[in-house]
Amino acid sequence: MKPVYISSAAALSPQHSFDNEELLPDIVSTDTGKLYVIDTDYSKFINPVAIRRMSRILKIGISTGMRAVQLSNHPINGIITGTGRGSMRDMELFLGDMIKLNEEALNPTYFIQSTYNSVNGWLAMQTKCTGYNQTYVHRGHSLEMALLDAQMLLNETEEPQTYLVGGLDEMTEDYFLVKSKKGYWKKDIPNSLQLLKHNDTPGSIGGEGAAFFTLTNQAENAMCKLAAINIIQNPTEDIIKAAIDKTLADNNINIKDVDVVLCGLSGDNRFDHLYKSVFDNMTAHTTIAAFKHLVGEYDTSTGFAMWLATELFKHQQIPEVIIQKKGIHPDIKNILIVNHYILNSASIILLQL
Amino acid sequence: MAERIVVTSLGILSALGNGLDANLHALKAKKTGLQYAKHLQTVHAKDFLLGEVDMSNDELSSLLGLPTGDNGYTRTTLLALIAMKELMQGIDKNQLQEEGFAFINANTVGGMCSVENMYLDFLSDKTEGSFTNYIDTLDCAESTLNVTKYFDVSPFTATISTACSSSANAVILGARMIQQELVKRAICGGCDALSRFTLNGFNSLKNVDKEPCRPFDNTRFGLNLGEGAGYLLLETEKSAKERGAEIIAVLSGYANTNDAYHPTAPSPNGDGAYNTMRLALDKAGLNPADISYINAHGTATINNDAAEGKAIERLFENNVPYFSSTKPYTGHTLAAAGSIEAIFSVGAMQRQMILPNLNFTTPMEDVNIQPATSVIENTMVNHVLSNSFGFGGNNVSLIFSKT
Repeated sequence: MKPVYISSAAALSPQHSFDNEELLPDIVSTDTGKLYVIDTDYSKFINPVAIRRMSRILKIGISTGMRAVQLSNHPINGIITGTGRGSMRDMELFLGDMIKLNEEALNPTYFIQSTYNSVNGWLAMQTKCTGYNQTYVHRGHSLEMALLDAQMLLNETEEPQTYLVGGLDEMTEDYFLVKSKKGYWKKDIPNSLQLLKHNDTPGSIGGEGAAFFTLTNQAENAMCKLAAINIIQNPTEDIIKAAIDKTLADNNINIKDVDVVLCGLSGDNRFDHLYKSVFDNMTAHTTIAAFKHLVGEYDTSTGFAMWLATELFKHQQIPEVIIQKKGIHPDIKNILIVNHYILNSASIILLQL
Repeated sequence: MAERIVVTSLGILSALGNGLDANLHALKAKKTGLQYAKHLQTVHAKDFLLGEVDMSNDELSSLLGLPTGDNGYTRTTLLALIAMKELMQGIDKNQLQEEGFAFINANTVGGMCSVENMYLDFLSDKTEGSFTNYIDTLDCAESTLNVTKYFDVSPFTATISTACSSSANAVILGARMIQQELVKRAICGGCDALSRFTLNGFNSLKNVDKEPCRPFDNTRFGLNLGEGAGYLLLETEKSAKERGAEIIAVLSGYANTNDAYHPTAPSPNGDGAYNTMRLALDKAGLNPADISYINAHGTATINNDAAEGKAIERLFENNVPYFSSTKPYTGHTLAAAGSIEAIFSVGAMQRQMILPNLNFTTPMEDVNIQPATSVIENTMVNHVLSNSFGFGGNNVSLIFSKT
């Protein structure tokens, strides 16, 4: 398939990522093991009547999506999202009430909003986009599937087209509690900025966020090229290495030309080895960086990494807080994102200026 | 011209029974699968008719050779596995694997059917017990990945959730992935198990009928919920011929659009449904007059049937083909509805018959069209249109054609 281009990017995250001139100012950290999205003024992006009944992730998702549309030069032809969790809070509220009230007198709003594609529906309404509309709910590959779908659509047409593509996931207190019983989080919770140093124990810290992009087949004025998406089920060290090699080879890139690798290191000793080949094989040229100590672990964290990559291209500098191993590259042209999710998935994405 | 995508195997489980033959037999006999809940533990068991698969989780597990009890498999997954077993009959698993295939699954609430009964344990101080086997089953991908595990295959996997059009979208994605040569074959469809969550959700919206649902009838009030699973194996005509597979139908057209109108209600004039059907016809290179039968979405909610009816009337004008909704047989199986009804559409074509709409007595006031109410045989069924529309304004139409 032909590569596609990113013409705009927006992210709401636990860091100051939304509409900031500066790259990652005033880094946020926590000792609670839970990193939550920093709210923005959602009323700028959502109909004031509708907003009152909306749950948090709907506001986060819709606002991020609308911002990406505003920042794009192109009208959108369709909307594709990925979410591992959907509106977790609405689901919890409806389920909790159903149990408590013994299946009587329930509020339908929670039920409607808990539908995984509700953000898609709202974005379609707000942008009046009657074209293609799709929602992937495939754990750590939810956003990757949305990206792949957009790449396919842009390859299926000869016309200039643009798709709004995004990932969104929220964390709740209950979600954190429930998943703690499955070993998702560290038992001894470090400060989030120290997460990656505590990689001798299982578990990570909880996170959330939304990131939206407009993907287009028009190269002019693009932020960068989305050259490759590689989706990996049941990753091993060797599979990751082979996939990186193939991604680079397919795009005629020498390993020495990779300027930055953004790794999904999560401080979890069960998964750190997946990144071994990155540290072993990248040359002194490459800066190796990480991001989950800034946003926590969630299904669609690749979205934050992609947003971060677009910022690195724009600023041509790398904040110290993400650097794991500093490289000697003069500029930033090729960024590789290598990410995994706790439920046996990984992905490799190549972005090029 | 892209290669033709064909259907070469099917698997279905619904309230009408296990397997294509059982389902078509019931449809032909005008025998509904709706009854009061036997397996779903709800205070509304005597209030609502459901299209429940008449097997307990233990019975389903036994049929699959799985241990009974809290075995970590949700009912959603068990339904999917039974349907997949039918599809996989006579399929060379190794060939699928070696040549590359995708498993594109769809559902609306993952393993909610299990989780809702254990949720208080989830939130309690307890950290051990069989409930922990279900903690990672709430999300929608659980059934997808457990199906691949059960059949010991490693396809490319994806899971879609666009409410009631989910599995129709899965069919489209599979076809497109084959056309892009990302995979050689794709197994596409969806599964949803009845849950109290969903039943109470639709009931809170006040659109569940206590009587058997009456699609396209002026007295309709709402839907009946159902459960089930349906899967179709897609591949190119060339690939089917290479392995000597029987070609059941051609997937000749499809379209996905959005209403951009309301979170739960369709655009009242059926603009979304109209656009979707029209685009699917364009994709297939067909005219409205070519369609022999429409398997309508026909949920029997007031809004859906009015909008869909108007859209059908507008698109087909004075030449409306036979159409019916099969939801009075199966109930609305939500994410599974698109693929189950795609299979009904293919079955209708295979047997050259029109499937009747049950419970129709009074024509709708706002449109001038009426569904087929009896089995019509010895008629030419060359192209069938299957509609699936969902919350969030998500509309999908599929067109299947004779080979």
